[in-house]
Amino acid sequence: MTRPATRRLAPLLLCLALPITAAAADYRVRQDQSTLGFTATFQGAPFQGSFAQWNAAIRFDPAQLASSKFDVTVDTTSAGTGDSDRDSALPGADFFNATKYPQAHYVSSGFSRMDATRILARGKLTLRGETQPLNLVVTFMPQTDGTALMDVTGSLKRLDYGVGGGEYADTSVIGNAVTVNAHLVLAPK
Amino acid sequence: MLRNDALRWGAVAKFFHWTIALLILGNGVFGLLLDLASSPMQKISWMALHKSIGLTVLALFVLRLLWRLGNRPPRELPAPRWQLWASRAVHGVLYLLVAALPLSGWWFNSVRGYPLQFFKWFNLPAIAAKNPDLRRLAHEVHEYLFWLLLLVLIAHVGAALKHHVFDRDDVLRRMWPFARLRHGPKGDSA
Repeated sequence: MTRPATRRLAPLLLCLALPITAAAADYRVRQDQSTLGFTATFQGAPFQGSFAQWNAAIRFDPAQLASSKFDVTVDTTSAGTGDSDRDSALPGADFFNATKYPQAHYVSSGFSRMDATRILARGKLTLRGETQPLNLVVTFMPQTDGTALMDVTGSLKRLDYGVGGGEYADTSVIGNAVTVNAHLVLAPK
Repeated sequence: MLRNDALRWGAVAKFFHWTIALLILGNGVFGLLLDLASSPMQKISWMALHKSIGLTVLALFVLRLLWRLGNRPPRELPAPRWQLWASRAVHGVLYLLVAALPLSGWWFNSVRGYPLQFFKWFNLPAIAAKNPDLRRLAHEVHEYLFWLLLLVLIAHVGAALKHHVFDRDDVLRRMWPFARLRHGPKGDSA
């Protein structure tokens, strides 16, 4: 028994009636409510740092991961950790070498779902002239007012990028593992 | 003999006395020379060592106090009353300074906001909140306590040598490692 033509065509008609949603949405980051930072360890104790100057182009939709994209640039001179000695050392040649490499750059290459709440972003981070793969765990929480909250975290090894080389390479004093984290408040463009 | 007897300090008391003396003097001089480090990282390593030695002194001091509480010191040797009181006062101040030096360093480290790690082994908490306004004061307190210790030490060492050289009694000998007493049960026959 064949179904009536109208019923067979219904899905197609429905698709034509809906607005086109092929691409993920572009967001504008509310800089004043968002943070981008890191946690590192010094002499066995963790310390937090944050960047004052950065720019994130976020195109994201958990239902449209194929067209989602992160492109983030960070001003390496703008790191602050709440300690004047440390903050004056960070942009120096031994650490970020900000004169030669004033920006760090992260570009995503793809996304995949990890579980009900978390999405994995694959990509590459260029820092201090070194480019290394860096995966980030993304939690995306749409809000009722059309904005969205996004929390991002990932783990890297500072020596992969030559941050703190030479005598600062001693990982028993400055830990090699660094956690990067971001909390973004996203508004529709 | 591990414990004190009526005439002399025991091996444990001697160990505490001389180990703490060497560590606190060495660490004090080391602390004054920290600025000679040739690089920031070397200074960080030197500082970490200085702090670890200071914590060792503090731990030894606590053990020493506990040991002393359970082990009566030898009898005071006969002396004019003012000398007995002077010696008690100097010993009391030395005990206070041996505790105050590492504690003031810990306080300085805390208001400075630095981590405190014991020989890269484990971390100890801050004993005060981070406070940039107290940095200078805490540093000066820590440093001047050492100068004060040296001053009191001149009296302590001077008195010990005076007893040893001029009075020819056992005040120094009964704290000196492996020394024989002049007037003790064995010293009489020697």
